Amino acid sequence: MAPTYNIAMVSDFFFPQPGGVESHIYQLSTKLMDRGHKVIIITHAYEGRTGVRYLTNGLKVYHVPFLVIYRSATFPTVFSFFPIFRNIVLRERIDIVHGHASLSSLCHESILHARTMGLRTVFTDHSLFGFADAASILTNKLLKFTLSDVDHVICVSHTCKENTVLRASLDPLMVSVIPNAVVAENFKPTFNPAETTSHSFSQNPPPARQLGPHDPITIVVISRLFYNKGTDLLTAAIPRILENHPNTRFIIAGSGPKAIDLEQMIEQNVLQDRVEMLGPVRHEEVRNVMVRGHIYLHPSLTEAFGTVIVEAASCGLYVVCTQVGGIPEVLPSHMTVFAKPEEDDLVAATGKAIAALRANKVRTELFHEQVKTMYSWTNVAIRTERVYNGISGAISEADFYGYDAANAASWSATRGRSGVQSFALIDRLKRYYGCGIWAGKLFCLCVIVDYLIFLILELLFPREKIDMCPDWPRKVVDESNGRKEGAR
Amino acid sequence: MAPPSGLQQSAIPSDFETPYPALVRSSTAPVTLMNGQRHAHHRPDPSHLSPEDAFTSASPPRRPGVFDVGNASGSEMRPRRMRRKDDASRSRSRRRKRFQKLLWVKQSYPDNYTDRATFLENLQRNPRVQPYDFWPLVADSTVIVQHVCSVIIFIVCFVGIFQERVSPVSVVGWGSFATFMGWLLWDWWVGQEEQNGAADGVPRAGSLGREFRPPRRQDSEIALPTLNASTTSIYGTSNMPSAASSSTNLAQEQHSQRPALVGNNITNGSSLLIPRHAHSKSTSSVQSATSQTSAAHARQNSDAYAESINWVAPPPSRWGRAKQRLSTIKSAVLITFTLLGLSPILKSLTRSTSSDSIWAMSFWLLAINIFFFDYSGSWVGVHKFPVASLSTNAALMASTVLASRLPSTGQVFSLTLFSIEVFGLFPVFRRYARHRSWRYHVILTVLLVLGAGGGVGVVLGGEEERGLPWKNGLIGMIVGCLISAVAMGGCSWWLIGLQKYKNEIYGPWDPARPIIISRRHWDDE
Repeated sequence: MAPTYNIAMVSDFFFPQPGGVESHIYQLSTKLMDRGHKVIIITHAYEGRTGVRYLTNGLKVYHVPFLVIYRSATFPTVFSFFPIFRNIVLRERIDIVHGHASLSSLCHESILHARTMGLRTVFTDHSLFGFADAASILTNKLLKFTLSDVDHVICVSHTCKENTVLRASLDPLMVSVIPNAVVAENFKPTFNPAETTSHSFSQNPPPARQLGPHDPITIVVISRLFYNKGTDLLTAAIPRILENHPNTRFIIAGSGPKAIDLEQMIEQNVLQDRVEMLGPVRHEEVRNVMVRGHIYLHPSLTEAFGTVIVEAASCGLYVVCTQVGGIPEVLPSHMTVFAKPEEDDLVAATGKAIAALRANKVRTELFHEQVKTMYSWTNVAIRTERVYNGISGAISEADFYGYDAANAASWSATRGRSGVQSFALIDRLKRYYGCGIWAGKLFCLCVIVDYLIFLILELLFPREKIDMCPDWPRKVVDESNGRKEGAR
Repeated sequence: MAPPSGLQQSAIPSDFETPYPALVRSSTAPVTLMNGQRHAHHRPDPSHLSPEDAFTSASPPRRPGVFDVGNASGSEMRPRRMRRKDDASRSRSRRRKRFQKLLWVKQSYPDNYTDRATFLENLQRNPRVQPYDFWPLVADSTVIVQHVCSVIIFIVCFVGIFQERVSPVSVVGWGSFATFMGWLLWDWWVGQEEQNGAADGVPRAGSLGREFRPPRRQDSEIALPTLNASTTSIYGTSNMPSAASSSTNLAQEQHSQRPALVGNNITNGSSLLIPRHAHSKSTSSVQSATSQTSAAHARQNSDAYAESINWVAPPPSRWGRAKQRLSTIKSAVLITFTLLGLSPILKSLTRSTSSDSIWAMSFWLLAINIFFFDYSGSWVGVHKFPVASLSTNAALMASTVLASRLPSTGQVFSLTLFSIEVFGLFPVFRRYARHRSWRYHVILTVLLVLGAGGGVGVVLGGEEERGLPWKNGLIGMIVGCLISAVAMGGCSWWLIGLQKYKNEIYGPWDPARPIIISRRHWDDE
C-alpha cells in the first residue's frame, strides 16, 4: 500500500489568475488527488474570491486575505502569515507543504513556518533568474534563506535546476527535474473530414497533411508581448520573413507593452492583410488559434520550460524557437527548428521551417500523439509522489539520493541538508547561519523570532482547540495501475 | 525519421521506450551556436563548476570518486542507483544509455540524478572580464588627475582672489592669455589635420559611406543656441544635447572601426567647422548644428551618402577659415562683455546667504563636477563637443556662487570668466591634446600637477610668510607630485588587486541579448 499524504500547495499565483504556474498547481493537485492524496491549495484572496472554495475533484482552496503589491505577489511580511497558516495546516492535518514560484512571498513564508512546525517541505521553481542585476541579487538571497532549510526542490528543466542550484547553493541531489506537462486532450489538431474515418482505426497514423507549393502558410505567435518574450526580435523579423516568403501570413495573439511596436511595424510596412493581431486570448482559446497555423514561432529571450511550445507541437504545429534557457530540452529536434536570438538567424530558421513544410518533410500530423506520450500530468504526479516518498522516508535514503553507504561519509556536509533533516532549532540555525556574513545572522534572527511566535501561538491557540476538518472522500488508487506506473 | 504510430496512443507513459533516435544536447543545438563564444570553453576548462562547487563555497579541487559516478569515462561503472527488484535486467540495459539533458526523453535515471558530465556545462565565469595591466591603468588615470588638478587650480585662484593675495586681473589675464595661446595651437593643429585629411579624405569618406548603417535615431531637431543672460545656459543647454546624442551614437557605431574613422571624422568636421573656442561658443554651435543637420541628412539613407560626401569633402577655402576665426573672436568679445554687464548682478546674487552654505554648496557642486565629468577618452571629431552637461553646469554654478562672495565687480567678472575658461574650454583642449599626442598629454598632466601642488602650497603657507611663497610653492609641488603618483599607482594597484573578487556567472538561464539589426527604438528595454 503506497503511503498517501496530506499536501498543501502554497503559492501566490492561482486561479482565477491565468498563467503557467497556476495551471501547473491545479493540474498537479488534481492528479495527486487521483492518486489518493489529499491536496489543499493556499493562496491569497483575489478579487471576488475569498474564504474557502472547492474546485472540481474536491480540491480545496484557501484564499487568505493578504495585501497584494505587484503582479499579484503579496507583500513580504515574514511573520504575519504564521497564525492563519498554522491554523490551516493543523485543521487539515498537513504532512507536506509544497511551495511554488520563487517570486511568491507567501510560498517562502510558508516554507519557513512549515519547517518551524516540523513539516516536510518541497519547493518548485518555475523561473530562471540571472545573477547580475539588483533585483535578482535580492531575490536570490531571499531564495537562499528559504531553501537553506527545505527538504527537496523541484525544477521544471535541467537549466532551471542548474540555475536554482547556483542561486540557492543547494546540493544538486536534492533538486529534482520534473517538467511541466500539457493536457494533450485540450490541444488536439484539427482533423479534416477525410481524416475522421481513418482516425477510428487508431492503429493507423493519420494521413499526412499535404501542403502544396503555393498553399498559404500561417505562422502563429502566442505570447505576452514583453521585452523578455523577444517581441523586439519578432518585430524586426516579421517584415523580412514576409518579404522573403510570399504566401505566408502571421497571426499574433497576446498583449503587452510591446504591442504598440508591432502595430507600428505593421503600419510602416503596410502588412495589415498579412499580419493579424488578435489581442489577448484566453487560455482555453489558445488551441483554436494554434490550429489555424502551420508554424509556431517562439522568439522568447528567456524561458524555464516553455509550455506553450509543447502545446503548439501538440496541436500539430512545426515549432521555430530561440535556443534559450530550457527550451532546447523540451522538444525533439524533428519538431523544432532552433534559432539563435538574433534577427538574421530567426529569419533564416523560419525560412528553413517554411521550406521543410513546403517540401512536406515534416509529419506534423503525428506530433500530437508523440507529445501525448512525452508529457502527461499523471507522469508528473507520479514523479512528484516519488519526491514526497523520498523526503518522508518511504523510500530509503540511499535509494532516493542514489549514493552508496560507503560514500555517505563524504556526503555528511550535504546530507544534513537533504533527507534526514533535523528539525531541532539549533540544527536549523546552523543551516541558516551559512547564508552569508550579515544575511546569515539576520536569517537566524528571523528563524528564532519565528520559533518564538510558534511557541506563543501554541499557548494562545492550543492545538486541541482547533477543529479538524472532515476530509473529502479519497480516491482509491487502482493499485495495479499505480504500481505499474510507479515502476516506470 | 520514424515517429511512433498510433500504436503508442494507448500506451502508459511509463512504458514509453524512447522511439526517437538518441539525441544528445549537442545534436539539437545548431552548429553555429556550438561554435559560438558561449561554448568556446568546454568541460575540462577550470572556469566551469563541477556539481560540488555549487554548495562548497571555496570551490575545492575536484575530488575524484565522490562524484565521478556519472562521468563519461565509465559508463559501465554506473552506480547501481535506483535498483529495482522487479525489472533489474531491463533497467540495467537502460542504464547504459547516456544521461541526456532532455525533458521529453524518458530517462533511466531518477529525477534528482546529477550528471557530472553535463551538469553546469554551459556555465561561464567571468567571460567578459578583461584583465587590467598596471601601466595602461596608470596612464588612463592621468585624465582624472588632470581634471582634479584643474579644479584645484581654480579653487586656489579663488582663494587667492578672496584673500586678496592675487590680483584678479592677473588671474584672468593669464588665464585668457593661456586660452588664447591654446586656441592658436588648436587652430594650427586643426589646420594641420585638415591638410592631412584633404589629401586622403575623399577615398576614406567613400569607404565610410559603405560602412555606415542606417541611423538608430535621427536628431533632426536641433536646439538653436541663444545667447542668454546666464552664461551657464550657453554651455548647458544650447547645443549640448544634440551633440551629446549624436556623438554617443557615433561612438557606439564606430567603436570597432575607430582607428580608421577618426581621421575621417576630423576631416568631415573640420571641413565644415571652425575650430571651437571658448568665446566662440554661440556662433560655432550654430555651425555645429548645421553640420549635424547635414550629417543627419547624409546618414538618412546610405545611398544618398555618397553624394553628400562629395558635397562635404571639398577642402575648405582659406576664406572660410578666416571667416570662422573672425566669428570666433566676435563671439568671444560678445560673451566677455555680456559677462561684464552681468557681473554686478552676480555679485549681489547670494548676498543674503551665509558663507557657510556657499562653501558647502560649492563643495558639493565641484564634487558633482568631478564625479560626473566625462573622462572617456573617445575622440569623436572636432565638431563633437565633449559633453558632460551636468558636470559643466555644476562647475559653472559653483563658480557663480563662489564669485558672489567676492566684494568687487571686477573680481566677480574675473572669476566667472576664469571659470568658463577652466571648466568650459580647458577640457576640450585637454582632450584634443591627448588625442593629438601622448607626449602633450603627459606634459600637460605634469604641469597641472605642479601648478595645483604649488598653488595649494602657497595658499596653505599662509600670509605671514609673505617673504617665501616660493619655498611653500616648491614644497607643495613636491608633495603634489608625490600624492598624485601614489594615488595613481596605488589606486591602479588596488583595482587590479580587487579583480580577484570578481565572480560573474553567466549561463543559459540569462536572458539572451537579442541582436537586432534594423532596430528603431534604441532606448527602451
